[in-house]
Parts: sequence; C-alpha cells; structure tokens
Amino acid sequence: MTTETANPISTNGLYQYESVIGLLSPAGPGFSGPVSVTVGPDGMLYVACRANPNQQEGVRVSRCTRDGDFLDQFGTWGEEPGEFIWITDIAFNQAGEVYVADENSHRISIFDTERNYSRRIGEQGNGPGQFDRPSGLAFGPSGNLYVVDTLNHRVQVLTTDGEYITEWGSLGDAEGQFHMPWGITIDQTGDVYITDWRNDRVQKFNSDGHFLMTFGVSGDGEGQFNRPNGITVDSAGDIYVCDWMNDRVQVFNSQAEFKDLLIGHCGMSKWARTFLDASPDIEAKLELASQNIEIKRRFYRPVSVHVEDDGKVYVADCYRHRVQIYQKLIA
Amino acid sequence: MAGTDRALMAHLLRRSGFGATFQELDRYCELGYEAAVEEILHPEQQPGIEEDVLERYFVDWKESRNIEAAMTEFVYRMNVYAGSRPLQEKIALFWHGVFATGLAKVLHEKTLLNQIDMFREGGLNNFRDLLLGLAKDPAMIFWLDNNFNHKGAPNENWGRELLELFSMGVGMDGKENYTEEDVKEAARAFTGWTIDDDNVTSLPFGKIPWLFRYVPEDHDDDEKTFQGETGNFNGEDIIDIIVKQPATARFISRHLYNFFVADEPQVPSWQHTPPGNPELIKILEHEYFSSNYNIRSMLRVLFNSDHFKSQEARFAKVKSPAEVVVGTLHLLGDFKFPKRTIFETALGCRYMGQDLLNPPSVEGWHTGEEWIDSGSLVERVNFVADQVGNINQPGVRAMVDALLSQATELDPLSIIGGCLEMMGHVQLHEKNKEHLAAQIRTMLDQHSAFVAGSPEDIESAEKTILHTMKMIGSTREYQFA
Repeated sequence: MTTETANPISTNGLYQYESVIGLLSPAGPGFSGPVSVTVGPDGMLYVACRANPNQQEGVRVSRCTRDGDFLDQFGTWGEEPGEFIWITDIAFNQAGEVYVADENSHRISIFDTERNYSRRIGEQGNGPGQFDRPSGLAFGPSGNLYVVDTLNHRVQVLTTDGEYITEWGSLGDAEGQFHMPWGITIDQTGDVYITDWRNDRVQKFNSDGHFLMTFGVSGDGEGQFNRPNGITVDSAGDIYVCDWMNDRVQVFNSQAEFKDLLIGHCGMSKWARTFLDASPDIEAKLELASQNIEIKRRFYRPVSVHVEDDGKVYVADCYRHRVQIYQKLIA
Repeated sequence: MAGTDRALMAHLLRRSGFGATFQELDRYCELGYEAAVEEILHPEQQPGIEEDVLERYFVDWKESRNIEAAMTEFVYRMNVYAGSRPLQEKIALFWHGVFATGLAKVLHEKTLLNQIDMFREGGLNNFRDLLLGLAKDPAMIFWLDNNFNHKGAPNENWGRELLELFSMGVGMDGKENYTEEDVKEAARAFTGWTIDDDNVTSLPFGKIPWLFRYVPEDHDDDEKTFQGETGNFNGEDIIDIIVKQPATARFISRHLYNFFVADEPQVPSWQHTPPGNPELIKILEHEYFSSNYNIRSMLRVLFNSDHFKSQEARFAKVKSPAEVVVGTLHLLGDFKFPKRTIFETALGCRYMGQDLLNPPSVEGWHTGEEWIDSGSLVERVNFVADQVGNINQPGVRAMVDALLSQATELDPLSIIGGCLEMMGHVQLHEKNKEHLAAQIRTMLDQHSAFVAGSPEDIESAEKTILHTMKMIGSTREYQFA
C-alpha cells in the first residue's frame, strides 16, 4: 500500500495517476464516504461526504486545496434549514453559491459564497419544483439549475431560486425515459448528459431536453456499464463516466467512442502519511498484508468525477474515502 | 384450503421464516403444505435482492464501519427477504446463534457480515462444508484466536469450541463426547490456519475484509491422534472425523429442534438432559447420515413430521427479538425500499436483548423463556404497538382496508377475528379473545363499529382496528411463534 505502482497509467496510456487526497475521518483532514467532488470558484476542492448514519458528524462538505491541504468544512447532519442527511451532490451557480442536494429531505440547500446557509428549495412530491430523492445537480450556461429527480425518473430545470421552468423524462427505457437517473453534467454548449443509472446508459439532450444521443449497454466491457453515476465533460469534449459497480471510470470522445479506462492506482496521501507516521504498528500490519495490495489501490465504487482545464481528473473514490487524481497526458 | 390447514401453513411460515402476511398465506395455501415446504427449502430459486439499490442509498454498507450499521444491514436483509426467501434468512440467524461470533472482539463489521453471507449461501447445504468454511472464516479465526495458533505453540481456543459448541457438544446420554487430548490434537491440526491482514482499524482508507491464509511452514504436520484415529492430520481431516460422529448428528439435530420446533434446555445441560422429543431427534440423526450431512434434508424431514405439524407445537416457542422485529416489519410491508429510519428501527433487537452480531459470548444467546424479562417484555410489546398502530405503514393500511372491505358492520368479535387473520393467522386462546372483546366493547360504548356510514364512522372503525392490532401484539400468542 505504501509502495507506489511502478507505472501508474491508464489502460490506453492517456492518463497518469498523480496523487491522492484522503483519509477516513469524520471531521477535519479526511473524508467519509465522498459522493461528490468539484472545484469551486475559489479554485479549491469541495468534497461532499455522505458518511455513516451512525456517525452523523461525518456528513459535511469539506474544502481543501487541490494538492491536499485541509481548509475547512460546512454543513451538519439534520433536517433543519442548513442541515442535510443523505447528501448526493454539490454544484456552484454563477454567483458562487453552492447548492447541496439531500435525498433524505428531498430538498436542495443553498449556501452563500462564505458557505453560510442561505435558503433551500423543493419538497417531497412529484409536482413541478418537487423532488423524490434528488441526486445530480448542474448549472447550464444560462444560469439555470438542472436537477436529477431520481424516483420521479425525470430532470427538472429551475431558476436559481427554485422556480420551475421545465422538465423531461418518465420511467422507462425508451429514448428520453429514465430508470432512477443519478449523475448529470452540462458541456460548454449547454448540452446535458444524464447517467441513466438502472438502464446502464448515458443519454445526451440539448438544454431544452430534446434527445440527442445515447450510449452504453449493461456489461463490463468497453463502452458497457454497470450502474453509471458521476459524469463530466472536459474542454476537449471528452466524456468521463463513473462506471460505479464495475469500479472504474470510462473515458469517451465526444462521439461516445471509447477512449480509455481508469481503474485506480492509489498510493499514499499526505493525511494518511501523517497518521501512519504516528501509528507505526498499523503501518507494519498493512505492510504484512500480501493478498489485497492491489485491491487497496483500485477504485471502490467511484461516484463522482470532475475535470479541470489543466487536465487534472478528480475521482471521488467513495468506499475508500479519498479522491484519486489523474493527469491527462494527451489532449 | 381448510381453516385448520391455513393455521398449519401459518405455523410453518412462523418457524421457517418470520411469519406471513395474509396475502402470502393465500398463495402458500394454494400451493399446499408439501409444495410450500419444498419452495421454502430452496430459497436460491426465488428472486434476489436489488443490491444496486441497496448500495445506492446505504452507501456505507459495503464496509459497515460500526456495529449499529452492521446490525441494521442484517435486519434489513432479513426483512426484505422475509417474503421471498424466508428460510435463507432464518438459517443464517440459526447459525449465527450456534457459531456465535461477536464484534465486541472482531471489530471488523464487513468481515463478520461476510460470515453471515456464508450462512445464507451454505447454511442449508452440507454440514461438513459449512464447518470447513467456518474454520477458514477470518472473523471466526480472529474471534477464537486461531491466528495465534502456531506450530510448537498451539492455542486451543478454536479447537475446543469447535468440539464443544460447534459440532459434537460436551456429551450426550450422560457420557463425554471427547477428551482433553482430543482438544489439544485438534488445535495442533489447525496450526497455520490464519488471516492475511488483521488490521482492525478503518484507517487510512477504510476497512478491507480480511482474507484466510494458510501458512504451511507454521503448520504442525506431525502425527496426531483424534477420536481414536491416528494420522498426520490437517484441519480438514479433523472436520472429516468430527462430522461422522454420532455425537455430531445428535448435537445438530437438537439444535435444529430447539430453533425450529420447541425450546429445549440451554445447550450446556444437553450432556445430562435428554431431548424433549427423542423419537424425532432419532429420525433427524438418521437423516443426517443418510443425506450425507445435508441440513436441507434434515429440515425437510422436520417440517413434514407429525410432531412439527401438531397443535402441541404451535405458539409454543418464544420468539427471539430478531423474530419479533423482522416479523412485525414484514407484516407491515415497510422498509422493502431503502429508508433511513431503518437504522433506528433495527435497534429494537438490541433493546429487546439480542444485540445481533454481538452475542454475549461464544455460547451465543440463551433462548426460550430467557428472552423474556420485565424490561425486554415492555420493549417487545411497545415495539409491536408502535409499528402496527401506525396507519401510514403500507402494510397496516392494507390490513385495515381489507378488513373494512369485508363487511358493512363489524362487531368486536369479528374485528378481533379479522385482525388475527391479518396479522398472520394468529390463534388466540379463548380467554384472551374474551379479554380483547371486552376492551373493544368499552371503546365502542357497547356499539358495533359501523364501517359503511359517515367518514366519522370509518375513522372510528379504523381506530378500533388499530387498537385491536396493538392489543394482539401484546398477547402471549403473538410474542410466541
């Protein structure tokens, strides 16, 4: 575990593993079940932690530098304004406010640029502006909020204050239909990509919800998915999809042709190093383990992926409580 | 199916599972008793759980970092499978009680949950394979210190409990089943059976389930004598010798009888206390050998036996806390889809005295009347009342609607009869029925509950039905299986 993989590159050599940020912790430096990772307008990394229902203090959004120095955290477990329990995703609007989806309260909480609670939108239901377990969040170029409304099997488009604009989708597997959709991303032209979770595919729409294309079928081969969730598109148009139950991230070009595969190459994080330096007995035990070294490096249920313009790819490796970082080598 | 047969089917489902809803009883009665037994004996032929949905909402369950989360997962799975694979869950609960392994020491929740999965998958199959799986199970190895059982420095903990609590028992018919020397030799045979990674912390990146590892250079390969046989035995040889002993047939038969038929005295007294039903135990012992140690075959014989089907066997066994909790949740149809509140609800088992995955000792829980004391009885009654008194529970709503649709007017006795049927064909003693009827008459002020009248009438009828179900939940018959 403490030994880096000799040649930590992706399957087709287009990405190199760079580093990891993480350590299981319910507070401070560390994550607990990270389900969403993104970079905020301040250039810092924001990581939303779902944690454990019996470790309520672990539910939070952590903020750290992109090379892994912890800064602060916000949000607490609960159902009152400013609190959340089953956090699913975070996204920033153009004003720099951060939106946090909670599928326990079926609401989206909004925090200001100083990360103080501001307001919340939504309630449980299936009407306009209501949600049944909201998950993925994204803002379009026009500033509207797109919400994946999982158990209503639809996508809703709202203003930043939660006023209903439009929606599309229903339960099914035809074009434009969904089965418990989860992730969402919007590219620079405003096209919307949805991971259609239980249909094992990605669907692409224009900003009004008109169907454009779909790709992916059930399976574990190239271009196949087992419950895809996190998704993002980089500035070159390449599409990154967390292939959740296959424990990998697949990369496609803008035409949805398979390009590469990330499987996780985790080494040692700064936070973990600090912990192990103080706990040599645990490190000795970890070194003794011979059968599961590879398992420990790999992704285990990657949930969220984010790409910056410099080609750095951040993957929230949920069950390993860390964010693995890759560098795109070829544009 | 005739009323008496419906009662028998309800009995079968209470024992082989966690009870049945009235809709499930309809279906099983259509099947007929023997066909129902066969279906129950083959849970693997029924649809599985939607693991993806489970994981999606309970994102921490892949590692379950504390005992409460692990217990919740255990209860949740039992509840979801209670309708489709009841015996799969019941047999897992059975073996968890026999091969009691606890998080108080193991401290590695997912590793222990993997042991429960082993019981789910193999608990009805060959006992020899199950025992071998147990000997290689990382949670058990850690629990009974076999990772400290080295060549030249044996640790006898696993070897002793393997014989005393997991296979042969101390003795039977007044005689001892093994010697102290057998314990020592068994321990030597299991030297080198260890685990790869016994990091009990969740740091730095979460807990990773332990794996079994055999270390040949740490195994004592010298000659051993065990149960009168001599050879260069390894652990597998010891298990082969154990499973062919009459004592093992008796021990497993008594455990099955104790769990599925009637409360027996506690295990430590079995050496000197004969079985409650020696004839049925004999039949089970015979089936153990003739089926090549197959647990499914033994249960087939047991469920089809006259004694199991007799009136005498019904409502004669105290439900364990897990049976109260899962049976009640199943009745209500709740938590079939992941909901956060399962975490509070599942802890009901603990409050009633059964801290699942954390038994009081390697001996497991004492069962039967020992489940009941003044504190646990209050917890049991309150739990059921809280659940069945909630009209927002889908199962409660369905039961109330079904009752209201059956008649335009309900008198106290028909309310009681209907509720008993809805709650899984519970059969109340006549005296208890009279007590309930008196209560309901007081509620209704000597009038029937009119259900075809005004909204107020319907509301009053609903209230009466809920109150009746809560009272039934507090009866001896509901608290017994």
